[in-house]
Amino acid sequence: MSEIASELDSESSNERFARGSRLVDLLSKTGLSLAILAVILYGSFSSPAFFTTGNFLNILTSMSIIGIVVVGMTFVLVVGGLADLSVPATIACGAILSLGLQPVIGPVPAFVVAVALSGLIGSVNGVLVGYLGVNPIIATLGIGTIALGIVQAAVGGVIVYGANPESAEFVKGRLFGIPVVVLIFLAVAVIGHFILARSFWGRWTLATGGNYSAAEASAVPVKAVKAGAFVITAVAAGISGGLLGLTLQSARPLIGQGYEFSAITAVVVGGVSIMGGFGSVPRAIAGLIFVQLLTNVMVLDGVRTPIQGFVLGILIAGAVGMDSALRKRGVA
Amino acid sequence: MRQTIAIVLQYRVAIILALTLTVSGLIVPGYLSETTLSLGLDRAAAIGLIATGLTVLLIAGQIDLSGGAIFALAGIVSTILQPSLGILPAALVGVFVGGLCGAINGGLVVGLKVNSLVLTLATMLIFRAVAHWITNSQPVTGTDIMFSLTMAQIYLDIFSIRSALFIVCIILLHLWLTRTIAGRNVFAVGSNATAAEESGVAAGRVVFFGFIFAGSLAGVAGVLQSLVTNTGSPVFGSELTVAVIAAVVVGGTRLEGGRGSALGTLGGVLTMAALTMAMEFQSVPAYLQQVVSGLILILLVVLDRTVHTRGRAAGAIPLLVTQNPITTGGKP
Repeated sequence: MSEIASELDSESSNERFARGSRLVDLLSKTGLSLAILAVILYGSFSSPAFFTTGNFLNILTSMSIIGIVVVGMTFVLVVGGLADLSVPATIACGAILSLGLQPVIGPVPAFVVAVALSGLIGSVNGVLVGYLGVNPIIATLGIGTIALGIVQAAVGGVIVYGANPESAEFVKGRLFGIPVVVLIFLAVAVIGHFILARSFWGRWTLATGGNYSAAEASAVPVKAVKAGAFVITAVAAGISGGLLGLTLQSARPLIGQGYEFSAITAVVVGGVSIMGGFGSVPRAIAGLIFVQLLTNVMVLDGVRTPIQGFVLGILIAGAVGMDSALRKRGVA
Repeated sequence: MRQTIAIVLQYRVAIILALTLTVSGLIVPGYLSETTLSLGLDRAAAIGLIATGLTVLLIAGQIDLSGGAIFALAGIVSTILQPSLGILPAALVGVFVGGLCGAINGGLVVGLKVNSLVLTLATMLIFRAVAHWITNSQPVTGTDIMFSLTMAQIYLDIFSIRSALFIVCIILLHLWLTRTIAGRNVFAVGSNATAAEESGVAAGRVVFFGFIFAGSLAGVAGVLQSLVTNTGSPVFGSELTVAVIAAVVVGGTRLEGGRGSALGTLGGVLTMAALTMAMEFQSVPAYLQQVVSGLILILLVVLDRTVHTRGRAAGAIPLLVTQNPITTGGKP
């Protein structure tokens, strides 16, 4: 018995085996925090406007809208669903309906209906991807196009404006000095983290993404879990769109354009693998914080927009390259 | 009955195309005139050329989201170099830039072993950033406006240079995919890269050259667009990616790789173009047009996933397996 224990002990402390991977392990765990710290340090030295409460509140507020989508998108990537490209459509659905229905049924029911209909779009995605086995890219692309068209047809293809100033005041206002949007984002993030890391659903999600056949053989309802990830993303995008609409007090059909790629960028930079089976909400949010801080520093330094796109592109390529390299070593 | 369904499904793209043309011909006045058709074909050619390149990549199991950005970049390069090099050499350099972008995509995907969806998302941002960078986000104009008139000229009552090139490319690709060993290797890599590698097919090289081919064709399409419009703009082609993927998938090529055909892509491109043109002639609102094209995309993909016909299965399984002399007891 003790022989086996010592055998195991010596194996785990095998110097040659552990040295390289320990360094990589450390790097993969703390790399992003270090990068965030570096950006903050650089930002504080390069621009006097960076390290101020006002600027951080700005970053937080602009981060919150996209952050809610990021929480949902994490589920899609972890479950092995590649990406949800219908996010612009669900954001537009949330924004247009939560403003457009205000005069008819009041602001709160309008918001709820908008989010529910977004969830409906997500469940169509989910049925196509999870139950019919359609490629997620094609399914979400097609459903996104259809949904956006229907929402536009419903309001007559025009820009919708808000009709309820109180709800706008509430969303733009602050609670204990923190913007309401940020609080909602934090709530969504905490709930998302709890589901993914602490609940049976999260375990199923990770199992399905890690090894679909093995999860299926272990009686995990893989189809429902895969479909669920798309519903979660759509609900998150619907909430995000509703908040965006209420903040701007106007919603045009292309309001959500680019959000899908920003969300994927944040999640991938956070080290969540696009191949599925690995990742967490805090990691994705760390990725989001890094991207947002970097963009903020670049804006403050007067870096031109095209170069910002260039830097983001290289960031994504670097992140996926690192993911595949770490995967080969069996760390991440 | 089964046989009929199998035949109908096998030629579904052709049937839908014929239906679209017939119905539009009856409803829309002047739809089937030579002028309308040749203009429609000319407009379809830009999407078609990129789609031709993407067909090879999808069959090989990869995807390229950066086609639209390469389209813009190649056009800009060919326009900017016109004063110093002359029109034709500049056009060649533009195509070369497209190929180079493809080589970057391919080199990174093969070298880093990363998911092509995320990587080409990154390079899409990078290529577009470069396009904005070298033009200062302003459209650039070419030297000779008369040359663009010759480019747009219609020959033989139906073909412009662009559409003729598209048709020739598709036919050559069809012959290459169905008649040559290299073409068959693409299918092998797409259906099972490991098995192909074990059988002596250099899977990495096939993927690499697939990306170069797709990049070059996107470059050709971009250069031709710039020649026809006498303009190069960094925002060209941003909406093309979705249309191209939709056209290829409608043509029966699978995103999972291993199946597809060049003639299918031709059918897909023509179907989408015919539909769009008919709806534009009838002044259908843009958002309803989106709904229709989205529905067709989803319908065809779902049909493809759910209906497994005997005809297709027999094609997929080698004769040696279905009529194995050992299992059938030596009887034919």
